Amino acid sequence: MPFTDREILETVRMIELETLDIRTITLGINLLDCADPDPESACEKIYTKIVQHARNLQAVGRGISEDYGIPIVNKRIATTPISFVAAASATDDLVPFARALDAAAKECGVDFIGGFTAYVHKGFTHADDALFRSIPRALKETAHVCSSVSLGTTKAGINMNAVARFSDVILETARLTADQGGLGCAKLVCFCNAVEDNPFVAGAHIGTGEPETVVNVGVSGPGVVRAAIAKLGPEPDLLAVAETVKRTAFKITRMGELVGREAARRLNTTFGIVDISLAPTPAAGDSVSDILELIGVDRTGAPGTTAALALLTDAVKKGGAMASSSVGGLSGAFIPVSEDAGMIEAVRVGALSLAKLEAMTSVCSVGLDMVAVPGDTSAATLTGIIADEMAIGMVNAKTTAVRIIPVPGKGPGETVEWGGLLGTAIVQDPGKFSCAILHRRGGRIPAPIQSYKN
Amino acid sequence: MTRFLTSEDVRRANSRVIEVDEGTIVTAQAQDTAREAGIVIQHRSGSSYAEPAPSRGPDASLAQRSLPHLPEPPMEGELQSFTGVVVTAAGRNRPGVLSEITAAIASSQASILDISQKVVEGYFHIVLMVELPPGSGFAQMKSTLECMGGPDDYVVRVMHERVFRFMHRV
Repeated sequence: MPFTDREILETVRMIELETLDIRTITLGINLLDCADPDPESACEKIYTKIVQHARNLQAVGRGISEDYGIPIVNKRIATTPISFVAAASATDDLVPFARALDAAAKECGVDFIGGFTAYVHKGFTHADDALFRSIPRALKETAHVCSSVSLGTTKAGINMNAVARFSDVILETARLTADQGGLGCAKLVCFCNAVEDNPFVAGAHIGTGEPETVVNVGVSGPGVVRAAIAKLGPEPDLLAVAETVKRTAFKITRMGELVGREAARRLNTTFGIVDISLAPTPAAGDSVSDILELIGVDRTGAPGTTAALALLTDAVKKGGAMASSSVGGLSGAFIPVSEDAGMIEAVRVGALSLAKLEAMTSVCSVGLDMVAVPGDTSAATLTGIIADEMAIGMVNAKTTAVRIIPVPGKGPGETVEWGGLLGTAIVQDPGKFSCAILHRRGGRIPAPIQSYKN
Repeated sequence: MTRFLTSEDVRRANSRVIEVDEGTIVTAQAQDTAREAGIVIQHRSGSSYAEPAPSRGPDASLAQRSLPHLPEPPMEGELQSFTGVVVTAAGRNRPGVLSEITAAIASSQASILDISQKVVEGYFHIVLMVELPPGSGFAQMKSTLECMGGPDDYVVRVMHERVFRFMHRV
């Protein structure tokens, strides 16, 4: 037999018992040629082009899943930032663009479409301004559209005017979707060093250097890494842990590479990247928090957590880099608080504070993700939280993001239930001290000097 | 560049017949508008409008040319000429389990290349390497086999050999 029983059963076990899956096949579609002076015509073109390209995305995903016996959970669409496309149209209301994206996603049978996006890390165009104004209503009126904005980069610094405006956008979105626990904010994220080939929502979109169409694949396997470390036991040292994670990440990524090639072949387009992020789900065992606790902290958030997460993120990247020449996107470990049963528990028992979470984001692959704060959190406090996170990304030349949900009517310690993949969150306390003056100052935090590394 | 015909274009057109290039995409709304106004949209050749195949862009054809040449982990020996399928089954042991599974494989016109079975404390696991002749349906065999057994009996899983090659061979 070309494979040993042990190899075959290992793979089967990963899929059957350890929830290994291809989390998403995301088709990126360039929409720049849909620009039109007439906004209605632009929306028609956007809808038609997306549907034309992604009509068979579900069928192709299902076909690969059937032909290879690999579960593929989501098929999604990422588009050119809508602020670029809408710039040609004379309109201040971009909600119709969001509706066009939403209708196209529905027609193609995908659950999320990313691309209601603007890059404002240096400043606003008229279209960016219109997009910011339109985000709250767009997220209220659509079901499938995800919105993201770039607020800073290592090369440009942080646009604090944009950060302050984004805080208002978050609060307004939460207010408009108050009956759903502020759910609109779960589809809204800001970035420092935004990734232009990210297949994962809510930040999925394709940047300006990307081809006409491209297939990006997100693969996920926290359960597999968790099982591998559990099997290793508590005795071996951290080098052994890193080695185990690396080997496991290699195998997971290989499956992503296979699916990426196959999806590109079947969709007749370019294979972009494999994103090898460990993306937890609320399902039992599918938890990044569990991995950190198996590495050796009592609870996620305890002293040692940041170190354990640093080891994990790095080892995932190293294993992945050997397994595929197309590693991209965010690739590392996600720590979305509400989507990870272990993280929720850590918040509940008081192990994981917002401050510790922020420290962890300096070594994870994304940032403050799916964090619930009280509904009466001020715009100044949100500005502070976002600016801190952007600063971590800017100085460390890494991607950081904030997806924060001020839950209307809820205070610290209360629970909010979003259901499905978005999970459950316990509202966290941002503290009683704010940063009103910093918020009001606005302006720009200049780009950091990167030469004197000592 | 993608060329579109929008409902606005249809409204502005001063004719009962609009001719479009083969590559032009007529938006869904434009088709509705034309239908309501009794305007016919057709290709320049005179044939009625049909949506063109999506144009995936200049990189797509390059990618399609280079994809088959990306190195893959090597196949070993006899696997090169057909679709290899790995069938695994596990569950409570009872007489006839192996014959049920192999009979189902035979009914799919597939032949078994290699087999290994172990029984530990009343539970079995079976690993089968199966050759699927060209043209026979993987999906059909997979659904037949995976519907066998049951929660209190045994479960079968069918996977493509390439998955294992990618995962366990460099």
